[in-house]
Amino acid sequence: MTFVAENVVKRFPGVLALDGATLRLEDGTVHALLGENGAGKSTLIKVVTGVYRPDGGRLLISDGPSALREVQFSGPHDSQRAGIGVVHQERNLIPAFSVAENIALQALPQRRGFVSRAAMFELAGRCLDHLDVGLDLHSPVEGLSVAHKQLVEIAKALAVDSSVLLLDEPTASLTTDEAERLFTVVRRLRDHGRAVVLVSHKLEEVFAIADTVTVLRDGRSVTEAQPLRDFTRAQIVDLMVGREYTEVETTSRRVDRSALPVIELEDVSTRAGHRDVSLHVHRGEIVGLYGLVGAGRTELARCILGLDRITAGSVRVNGAPARIRGVTAALHRFRIGYVTENRKEEGLFLDQPISRNVAVTVWRRLARAGLVRSKGERALVEQYREQLGMRIRGPRQLAGELSGGNQQKVSLAKWLAADCDILVIDEPTVGIDVRTKAAFHDLIVKLADTGIAILLITSDLPEMVALADRIAVMKDYVIVGELDNNHRYDTTSQAVIRMIHDGTAA
Amino acid sequence: MSATIKDTYARRVRTFARGSESVLITTSVIGFVVLASTTHGNLLTRGTLTAIFQFLAVPVIVGLAQMVVLGVGQMNLSVGVLTGFCSMVAAWLMIRLGVPAWLAVVGAVGVGAMAGLINGVIVVLTRINGFIVTLATMTIIDGLRYGINGTSTFQGYSPSLVRFGKGSSLGVPNVFLVAMAVAALVAVFFRRTVAGRRLLASGGNPLAARLSGVSNDRSIVIAHMISGLLAGVAGVLEVALSGSVNATIGDDLLLPSFAAPIIGGVALAGGVISVLGTCLAAFIMRMVDVARAQYSIDPSWVDVIIGVVVLGAVLLTQLRHRGGGPR
Repeated sequence: MTFVAENVVKRFPGVLALDGATLRLEDGTVHALLGENGAGKSTLIKVVTGVYRPDGGRLLISDGPSALREVQFSGPHDSQRAGIGVVHQERNLIPAFSVAENIALQALPQRRGFVSRAAMFELAGRCLDHLDVGLDLHSPVEGLSVAHKQLVEIAKALAVDSSVLLLDEPTASLTTDEAERLFTVVRRLRDHGRAVVLVSHKLEEVFAIADTVTVLRDGRSVTEAQPLRDFTRAQIVDLMVGREYTEVETTSRRVDRSALPVIELEDVSTRAGHRDVSLHVHRGEIVGLYGLVGAGRTELARCILGLDRITAGSVRVNGAPARIRGVTAALHRFRIGYVTENRKEEGLFLDQPISRNVAVTVWRRLARAGLVRSKGERALVEQYREQLGMRIRGPRQLAGELSGGNQQKVSLAKWLAADCDILVIDEPTVGIDVRTKAAFHDLIVKLADTGIAILLITSDLPEMVALADRIAVMKDYVIVGELDNNHRYDTTSQAVIRMIHDGTAA
Repeated sequence: MSATIKDTYARRVRTFARGSESVLITTSVIGFVVLASTTHGNLLTRGTLTAIFQFLAVPVIVGLAQMVVLGVGQMNLSVGVLTGFCSMVAAWLMIRLGVPAWLAVVGAVGVGAMAGLINGVIVVLTRINGFIVTLATMTIIDGLRYGINGTSTFQGYSPSLVRFGKGSSLGVPNVFLVAMAVAALVAVFFRRTVAGRRLLASGGNPLAARLSGVSNDRSIVIAHMISGLLAGVAGVLEVALSGSVNATIGDDLLLPSFAAPIIGGVALAGGVISVLGTCLAAFIMRMVDVARAQYSIDPSWVDVIIGVVVLGAVLLTQLRHRGGGPR
């Protein structure tokens, strides 16, 4: 079977997520789908699996030697029936159900309205045999290891007779051994004539297992279904990051590093798993923390804010040892603000007006005799509306009605209102269109110029090179290197990527 | 400049017209007019009007008591029995201990607040779902309610309190005035105080609230405490209004306590409240009850109608959410 997603376009309010992406799959191959964060991989997968409807382009399918015909998926069910199975990054198993029940869930064998248990076990057993894994079909899924759960998900996809299998970051939470075993399964599936699509950030495993490759950049496919052996690793990296961003904001800023750092971490280990992390940020400095998804950057931010425990090492704020017990303390005593990565889920109250969203951190300050003055709130919104260039109707507009970029500005305004000395900014421009992104970059630099110390977490390498004064690179909860940013994209990005893939300092 | 102000007002009017409050006001007015005209003006006699608003007071307060916990994303199943319990406590204080009426009132409200505080603390400390915690405390309070005086009735307590309860000021029943004053306080609490806003922040998005330095635990405890306090107020109003109380008070308050805020447009998931909507919904339910009396309909139909109205209101809110607005 051949499956083609041709020139797919997908628009979200304010963002063009896919702008002509093509994915061509042939059976009996392992196909790598690569791209930086935000390049559109997840969106493309959701289009292929019928979760999203494309705004442009076609989906074509052919069974065997017959000609390609166009198909339309109105939901995940349709794509499943067309033989496309997917194992998402997030787990989709029912914990209390047994292994067999989970595997057979989408294709439950029935007889006169009753589940035929024998047929169910037979089906589940067959799927697991296919993968050559022995698991107790009766045991509940919740007791299994992460790796085993993953295999159950793959078996589940096989139960509906998928000829295309999409694996989204399958090894993100697996150990090397477990990943190796998973790849044995993947090779077996390929040899049985299935098309396996592997979405991964780990180039080493891609080169170890994939036959063909498609690279996405800014929603466009820059390489379509080419044999992977024609490329070197460096070439793939170049394709992923692109070169057109080279001349974005190349000015170096002058940072006074003679005074004590505003915040300093020394040999910090955490319950989340960080080991010996040392990091410091000076007044007016932007320090970038780069790493792949799952490297532990957001987790480190959470520890700094007191949301998770620091088990060893010391944190100093303005030179004085600090024990930060929670966000309230971080905010009011140490003046640390956290602009979250996920503004919808962690940053905003979507059902409430902008004024409340901005003022939530300072209600206490705005209150007179226990009552918050709405005048004060409105004044606050007006101040930041101008400073941040928020495009809003007024302070009473609901936060949920704003575009992504403006939501992010509201989220930022909240922390500026709280008068923070230190801002942790986590993935500030994910899902934001290019123009707003540039404005945001300007803004971050201006904030640093006013003396705020900024710890910038981003997976967007061009963004990192454009903004950061220094870049620390994290991998597997450890800082593997640090470099001064010379704002030259080609050399800096290479150095950073090398640190990640070699795990050594440049 | 004036154009923008006009614009702002026009938008505000539009927002209001789209909201559930306007629907409720229209429904209330139409319902009242229809009822008044079909009963040949019987509804507009002084006695009937007084009765309508006297017996609106307790449902309004109990609805608000539920609304406060819904605002933080919780539920309080013990609201009804707690109201009854507080009534019994007030009467017991006056009759058995000879406590002056004002002190009995304070005591009963305090007991309500304390019970709510306990609810909240249990929820926060054990992390057990509020539904289950209050289901358990409901049963406990139910038992305590009967423990005070068995099934017998307390009567003949403070004549002045009863006079106040049955009386009117400027033609408006006193208990209704109290209810309106309490509603106004609740509105101010949510609109203007730091604690009230934090409570809504916790209900609307606990994660964002936590990351903004708001203590969700504190919000939950405060919400339950206010809920209990309001149940105490409702209990005291019941004592003042009826002149005699027994342990069955509060038995029929649980469903209305949910119905009022839900019809009134309060989000079950938390974060969105409407004091006006809750009051209006209580009024509409009162009209259904009055209609039953006026037309001598079988009382069991009232529950059927209220049940249908609750479903309809929730459905309407859902449809509106799907229709307009972003996503």
